[in-house]
Amino acid sequence: MNIDFSLLITEISLAILGLTVFTLGLILPAKSSQKGLGTFSLCGLLVILALTIASWGNQGETLGGMYLADYFTSFFKILSLTALILVILGSKNYVNSQIENHLEYYSTLIFATLGMIIMFSAGDFITLYLGLELMTISFIVLTSFRRTNGKSLEAGMKYLLLAGLSSAVLLYGLSLVYGAAGTVFIKEIAGNIAQGYFNPLLIVGLAMLIAGFGFKISAAPFHMWAPDVYEGAPTPVTAFLAVGSKAASFAVLIRVFLGAFLEMQEQWTMLIAFLAALSMLIGNLTAFAQTNIKRMLAFSSIAQAGYILVGLVAANEAGIKGVMFYSFIYVFATIGAFTVVSEVYNKTGSDDIADYAGLSQRAPLAAVVLLISMLSMAGIPPLAGFTGKYYLFITVVQDYLWLVYLGLILSMVSVYYYLRVVLVMFRDEPADPAPLKLGSTASLTLWLTLAATLFLGIYPWPLAKLANTVAIAFLAGL
Amino acid sequence: MSVWLGILFFILAGFAFSAIGLGLSFLIHPRSKNRFKLETYECGLPTIGPTWVQFKTQYFTYALIFVIFDVEVLYLYPWAVSFTQLGFSGLVKMFIFIFILVLGLWYAWKEGALEWR
Repeated sequence: MNIDFSLLITEISLAILGLTVFTLGLILPAKSSQKGLGTFSLCGLLVILALTIASWGNQGETLGGMYLADYFTSFFKILSLTALILVILGSKNYVNSQIENHLEYYSTLIFATLGMIIMFSAGDFITLYLGLELMTISFIVLTSFRRTNGKSLEAGMKYLLLAGLSSAVLLYGLSLVYGAAGTVFIKEIAGNIAQGYFNPLLIVGLAMLIAGFGFKISAAPFHMWAPDVYEGAPTPVTAFLAVGSKAASFAVLIRVFLGAFLEMQEQWTMLIAFLAALSMLIGNLTAFAQTNIKRMLAFSSIAQAGYILVGLVAANEAGIKGVMFYSFIYVFATIGAFTVVSEVYNKTGSDDIADYAGLSQRAPLAAVVLLISMLSMAGIPPLAGFTGKYYLFITVVQDYLWLVYLGLILSMVSVYYYLRVVLVMFRDEPADPAPLKLGSTASLTLWLTLAATLFLGIYPWPLAKLANTVAIAFLAGL
Repeated sequence: MSVWLGILFFILAGFAFSAIGLGLSFLIHPRSKNRFKLETYECGLPTIGPTWVQFKTQYFTYALIFVIFDVEVLYLYPWAVSFTQLGFSGLVKMFIFIFILVLGLWYAWKEGALEWR
């Protein structure tokens, strides 16, 4: 078997970077000298991001069709690497003060990203599952990273159990699909279904796949793990979990459902529409009652999963474009918000919304970034979130008008709980008026996410056009 | 047919082998009778002290480290069998594989998993 290594540049270099960070961490004697590992991984990741962007045109399949490389995978590779870079950049302060084991932290983050990339580049179910497990196991470790903290351990335990459960459901679904369609290769499944290869077991398998991936994207009713895990996990990990794991799972959903089951569209779009509606409802309405900002962002991320699922309901190129666009802007909004949360926690030791009182006086940049990120998530023009929601909901206006109405109403509702935080930050007087000094790298992250959210809201065409090209190429390549 | 005959002889030889061993020891072993001989052997002894003891979690770490080598051997065997066909690239790949496993062992060692506390 010939292996085309040029298609695997990102994966191989990520694996080498992860192992190098690991080895360096073993060689470096003192724990204090491991602080450089973050900078090292950051430099490595920037090089890998450049390599990935440079190999944009590389297309094809390798390892006998088990591994795919096309515009679609390149787009999501760039997305996950960007997310990882922003998370590492923004979390430097937090990691230095809250986490002792830098070696494990950075290498596990890199391996989680590698898992994501393998997951959505997979051409068959086995490779997909391998990537998924690499990602999930890395996240289990990362979630329970602050091992002296009870909440972090609880989060790790919950994530372990529910990730195991969802993997089991997913694996059962995959094996049912394999049994019914006769192959594990996504492309061949599509071919077999097109030839009238239909089996009721396929529907059962499909439902199980939706359940399994529903856990990963934390769509209701498979969302119950998200608030506790998001709350307990170290905040940078929460950000990466919310962004990376979700985006990668959406990429896989598109790959599997549009790649293999496009012919059976009428069997699953209604189910996905139902999940989207339920996620929006539960996420937005439960977020009202939260007093902890991480829990609130967790429920908001459940709602976001609902919005993104709308693009999958459409199951056409506009829908794919919407999912890709929204996933990308969601990276900036979420990482911006969580970086503020981790910086505030680092200084005040609290995640309560009440403790954000007067943040606009103590750290104006953090307050503004949180404001802009939240308004973007709520979908207020001219921020990026508005454009993203527009691209998503425009696709289902004809067939699922009720979903559009629901999405619009709930977006308006969500403004309330986002603005509640903003009100606390800008109106209330701080309990401790001393200025809250942000770390330099965290400030850089905040500026970057702020700029991206504003820029993509006002001038979305470059990214939209790119997403459109990729979506067309993806559907043409099926 | 001859194949099955061979298996039959093999079974018979096996029976004979164990029968000879047992028979010989029955004939020549010294006979001494005491009550300890009637007690259970190895498993199922009456316990001494409380049975709800805690085991060290380090056994678990040891088991994990054992898995490193277990998996290594699992892949080394088929690799060794088809070594000549795999050629030089096979050697390189196996070294990469072993390197990653050794990293795991190195990490466990550095974290003190090999020291009994």
